[in-house]
Amino acid sequence: MLKIDNLHASVEGKEILKGINLEVKAGEVHAIMGPNGSGKSTLASVLAGREEYEIEEGSVTYQGKDLLELAPEERAHAGVFLAFQYPVEIPGVSTTNFLKTAVNQTREARGLKSLDAVSFLKVMKEKMKLVDIDQALLSRALNEGFSGGEKKRNEIFQMAMLEPTLSILDETDSGLDIDALKIVADGVNKLKSPDNATIVVTHYQRLLDYIVPDYVHVLYQGRIVKSGDKSLAHELEDKGYDWIKEEVAAL
Amino acid sequence: MSEVLTTEDQLLANFEGWLNQRFEASSSLRAIKEAGAENFKKLGLPSRKSEAYKYTPITKVIEKNFDLDIAESPSDLTKSDCEAKFYQDADANHLVFINGVFVEDYSKIISASSELTIKVLDDQAINEHAELKSNLGHVNGSQVDSFAALNLAYFNQGVFIKAEKNTDNKNTYIYQFIDGSKQTVLFPRVFVYGAAGSRTKVYEKTFISGEENSLNISIVESMVEANAEVRFTKLQNYTNKAYAIEGVYAHQDKDSRFYTNTFSFKGAVVRNNVYINIDAENCEGHMNGLYQLSGKTHVDTNTSVDHLKPHSYSNELYKGILDENSRGVFNGKIYVRPDAQKTNAFQSNNNILLTDTATINTKPQLEIWADDVQCSHGCTTGQMDEEAIFYLRSRGIEKTNAKALLLNAFANEALNELQNDLVKEEIEGIILNKLK
Repeated sequence: MLKIDNLHASVEGKEILKGINLEVKAGEVHAIMGPNGSGKSTLASVLAGREEYEIEEGSVTYQGKDLLELAPEERAHAGVFLAFQYPVEIPGVSTTNFLKTAVNQTREARGLKSLDAVSFLKVMKEKMKLVDIDQALLSRALNEGFSGGEKKRNEIFQMAMLEPTLSILDETDSGLDIDALKIVADGVNKLKSPDNATIVVTHYQRLLDYIVPDYVHVLYQGRIVKSGDKSLAHELEDKGYDWIKEEVAAL
Repeated sequence: MSEVLTTEDQLLANFEGWLNQRFEASSSLRAIKEAGAENFKKLGLPSRKSEAYKYTPITKVIEKNFDLDIAESPSDLTKSDCEAKFYQDADANHLVFINGVFVEDYSKIISASSELTIKVLDDQAINEHAELKSNLGHVNGSQVDSFAALNLAYFNQGVFIKAEKNTDNKNTYIYQFIDGSKQTVLFPRVFVYGAAGSRTKVYEKTFISGEENSLNISIVESMVEANAEVRFTKLQNYTNKAYAIEGVYAHQDKDSRFYTNTFSFKGAVVRNNVYINIDAENCEGHMNGLYQLSGKTHVDTNTSVDHLKPHSYSNELYKGILDENSRGVFNGKIYVRPDAQKTNAFQSNNNILLTDTATINTKPQLEIWADDVQCSHGCTTGQMDEEAIFYLRSRGIEKTNAKALLLNAFANEALNELQNDLVKEEIEGIILNKLK
């Protein structure tokens, strides 16, 4: 589904990603871990199409297409979803209205008919249960004045509504208490299917107790320096990142 | 040596003749108008150094674009032409002005005069209504503005709207038709009097036809008595040939509420003076506005809220979206006088510039002499929030739609105090259309 080949990316002349290689197949969950400043969020942003990043080298192929050629909205239409680390507050636009526009533009791009108000509300009601989100929250301006937990739940709710093929969760666990974390993880697990894939970007192993990854990759200094299964995440939790740094330094 | 006439002299050159044609020597209105002309002579037009017109060199603009021949021009507009433009609100009053003159025959007035008096502002109205006679021309210091003085001299048949005590009144729409088939200078005048405990809602909209320049020097005065409410809303979607200097002056008595909304979308040069005088306790004064401009449109908003007595509240919110080569000017004054303790006064002006060639000059100005007050003001000017645009795009919303969604939400905040659905829908439509 996704193939990242020798990806180099920089921002304001500073190289952040220095040759990423990664392959994600349908049905898989990949965790990307690493210390602060290793390039995890940059990778997530580059995949979603954030424009301030310069691609210096390499390629990203998604479902046979050159992902880097697509505008952010085209990536969304093709089924790529980024759950933001810091969801943006948008005053004056209700979550419901925003999602209706997003869902219908995505449906149109996928050659499906727009949902009318009634069917949209029906779908919304179903998906609301998934992340235990309140109707009142959705009538409010998008993310405005939401708590950290509400914002993250809203991200997963949007994910449920847009039915992506490839979901990238950028530090979705940061700032969440354990109850909110469980709700969010539970939502992600329910949305999992053999046809879609998930990339979980996180600093902590904690989230991976709830969203169990098939593969764990350690990103450090802009490269994936180690890959393994979920036991690698536990090892990192026990030993911290220093041993990885030492290993890299020894090379 | 030939004498060079000043612009002020030119403007008043035909005043005597104009007056003689219309008013008897004994007319009360004539005396008021002569005083207006005298006052205008004394004030003169704003000079190049005028602080109040710093970013809008209005005198130069007038000299450049008008030959200053003040004469009412006839128009071919028929009653049905005008009626066709009325809002679809059957249970309302519809008032027609043509080139600044109130045309009662073309208007549709359904309110009973026991509730809402709507009549030509002329000698008869002045003689019958002491409250009009004593206030006309100097509500809230309107006599200190050159254009208000000029309007007082030259207005011909304005409209007098008076809500009687404790009446809750139907909507009143004022349609200003400007026939620009010839160059024209017009002086519409509206006086809204809200007697104690009454409620009045007035909506003004302008239609401009023809290809020539028009100069609209318009004045609205409003007296709001104890516990009364007056709402006045203005929609300015003019043409590139339309110049306007428009004043709204309100004076509030105790426990009263005054709301004014100004929505500006298009024009050549538009100057809005909006002044509220809160001269009693427990009042609420609201001023909201939006200027969403493109092309070379220049809109200058000059506002003032003057708190003279304690325990009142005022709130002002102006939003600006400036595209292409447009220019916005905002100057908001709040005065809190020594007696006006426990005042709550808030002001905010937020602007988004969509191009490098659009400009905004914004200046909040608070002068507070009382020490136990809550006042705040905030001005922001910026580009669109790129992070917000990316967020929406990442959810599948195309770039142009994402921008429109954000700008629309930004603009819509200025509509919060507009209670008329017909007008609201129209304005929302204009906003959206301009975002396409």
